[in-house]
Amino acid sequence: MIKASDAPLLEVRDLKVHFPFRRGSLFRPEHGFIRAVDGVSFSLREGETLGLVGESGCGKSTTARAVLNLIPPTFGEVCLEGEPIAGLSDTAMLPHRQTMQMIFQDPFASLNPRMTVGRIVGEPLKIFRPGMDREGRAVEVMRLLDMVGLNPRFLNRYPHEFSGGQRQRIGIARALAVGPKLIFCDEPVSALDVSIQAQIVNLLEDLQTQLKLAYVFIAHDLSLVRHISDMVGVMYLGRIVEIAPADELYRNPRHPYTKALLSAVPVADPQIERTRQRIVLTGDVPSPDRVYPGCPFADRCPQVRDECRKSPPKLEGIAGTADVHQAACFFARD
Amino acid sequence: MHKPLLQVEDLRVEFHTDDGVVRAVDGVSFNVAAGETLGIAGESGSGKSVTNLAILGLLPRPPARIVGGRAMFDGRDLLTLSQPELRRIRGRRVAMIFQDPMTSLNPLLTVAEQLTEMTRLHLGHTPRQALDHAVTMLEKVGIPAAGRRVHDYPHQFSGGMRQRVMIAMALSCKPDLLIADEPTTALDVTIQAQILELIRDLQRDEGTAVVLITHDLGVMANLCRRVAVMYAGRIVEESSVDELYSRPHHPYTLGLLRSRPRLSGGDGRLRPIDGQPPDLSRLPSGCAFHPRCPFVVDRCRVERPALLPTPFEGRAACFVSKEVAAAAEVELD
Repeated sequence: MIKASDAPLLEVRDLKVHFPFRRGSLFRPEHGFIRAVDGVSFSLREGETLGLVGESGCGKSTTARAVLNLIPPTFGEVCLEGEPIAGLSDTAMLPHRQTMQMIFQDPFASLNPRMTVGRIVGEPLKIFRPGMDREGRAVEVMRLLDMVGLNPRFLNRYPHEFSGGQRQRIGIARALAVGPKLIFCDEPVSALDVSIQAQIVNLLEDLQTQLKLAYVFIAHDLSLVRHISDMVGVMYLGRIVEIAPADELYRNPRHPYTKALLSAVPVADPQIERTRQRIVLTGDVPSPDRVYPGCPFADRCPQVRDECRKSPPKLEGIAGTADVHQAACFFARD
Repeated sequence: MHKPLLQVEDLRVEFHTDDGVVRAVDGVSFNVAAGETLGIAGESGSGKSVTNLAILGLLPRPPARIVGGRAMFDGRDLLTLSQPELRRIRGRRVAMIFQDPMTSLNPLLTVAEQLTEMTRLHLGHTPRQALDHAVTMLEKVGIPAAGRRVHDYPHQFSGGMRQRVMIAMALSCKPDLLIADEPTTALDVTIQAQILELIRDLQRDEGTAVVLITHDLGVMANLCRRVAVMYAGRIVEESSVDELYSRPHHPYTLGLLRSRPRLSGGDGRLRPIDGQPPDLSRLPSGCAFHPRCPFVVDRCRVERPALLPTPFEGRAACFVSKEVAAAAEVELD
């Protein structure tokens, strides 16, 4: 028997999200599926951070939304604290929302402009702490605002009175209100100015230490993801093509896509930039509406061989890493 | 040094808003020589985009007002030219690319229609010549099957391909100067790498001067030889790219450089710049950066530092730039 403390906080197995589409003319319609997420598996322990990176359209945000049941998964299992939650109804999902929360990229769009900060942060308390009276809520909201580094006296202000960084703090306070164990952070700093990004990253790290939070941190900024994550998964066309502990992945990438992605990141050091060998991929990210008989990266891969086009490589452990480093490439060992 | 192609002197732009007068650009001067790449870095509201829109006569007036300065291009002050005169220069001699290619392309016209308009107008091409030229340009920027795709509409291209179309359009009249405002910000990193390489190749082959406006210090390090950093409407530091990244003389530049985690890892806790970017309608007294500055001294609160030469062929607007540079040498090692 597994002891409760050994069980991962979140376990995702073979998650798929397929969106049906119809195109073509009325008389000759063409049906198919956009395979936005196509077999994603990972697990996460208390207090741990999993970074998900990949280019737009790779399915990282859809993965988060499907785990949270904001989009019903087409297939696969999601277990939160050992309980299966994939496909639960909104009502059945409600108690689990206390465990899992989300913060969004755009702090302008994710806060209701007609609500005061007090109401925005207090709203989740109304639902999850029905016994709490108005005053108790106000006290709790002020505690939360203080925790995210906002002046508690700002309670009655509206979102437009805050800067982007402060608004993101409000979003974090709202997520914390229900006392979650896991927060999905979807590009939480990419809309912010460079000088403000580090403030929010430090806040997230402090909160993690204080509250033993686990994060799924979704971002396209690879330097930032390395900084904040324990494990990093690289996604391509709805799949995790490589996953490993952060330092291991960046030091020793095995999948050609990870290598290309890392080499494409511009580094703020002109001397390194001048001498760096860059793998420039040709072409665009292919469309997720096609079914690929082989490796989905084959068309852009600089190391492609014949067998890559025949059958898809599985995500498998790299020898000598006790399977903590996994890659989906036939030649990951080379 | 070459004779400057573009010489901006003491440019001042104000906006009249409900909150009062906002000084978006406050005495900005810089030169760009033929074939050179100048990077301008800064955060939102620093005035980097307004500077370049003002030079190109693209600011809506009102609410904007150019209250001072000159922008000499090839012996003429762009700020005093009439719109018809500017139109003869824009696109022909000076071209622009913007962050979002979807909003800069007309969705109702095919790429061919948009690309040929420029060369027919500026170079007097016949429709046939213009179309051939458009296809050549699309091939040059790496669009596959250019002969067929030239008749597609913008929405039929991906984001990276649209930015290539923009670049093809910008370069189709062989301009002397290309102003690129966040050209890769909306793109994924692998596509960004392609576009940066494309800009570098075109610059090498055609000798175009480039002004690259970006908030990304990595992109700037990749493409530029000389760089300027703007804060609250002013240039606070300018130098060669190597100097700026290894020995910045302004605390804001140093703050930007050390607040970013490195791709190579090994950073401890990140070191943000404290506070918020300033509200331009209520700028702090003295140096606009002083409320956020870890090096602040009394003088910074009352007097505004001028942009003065550093011992390393750069310029910095800071009273304690020597201390900053010394600290930077230790920290950025």
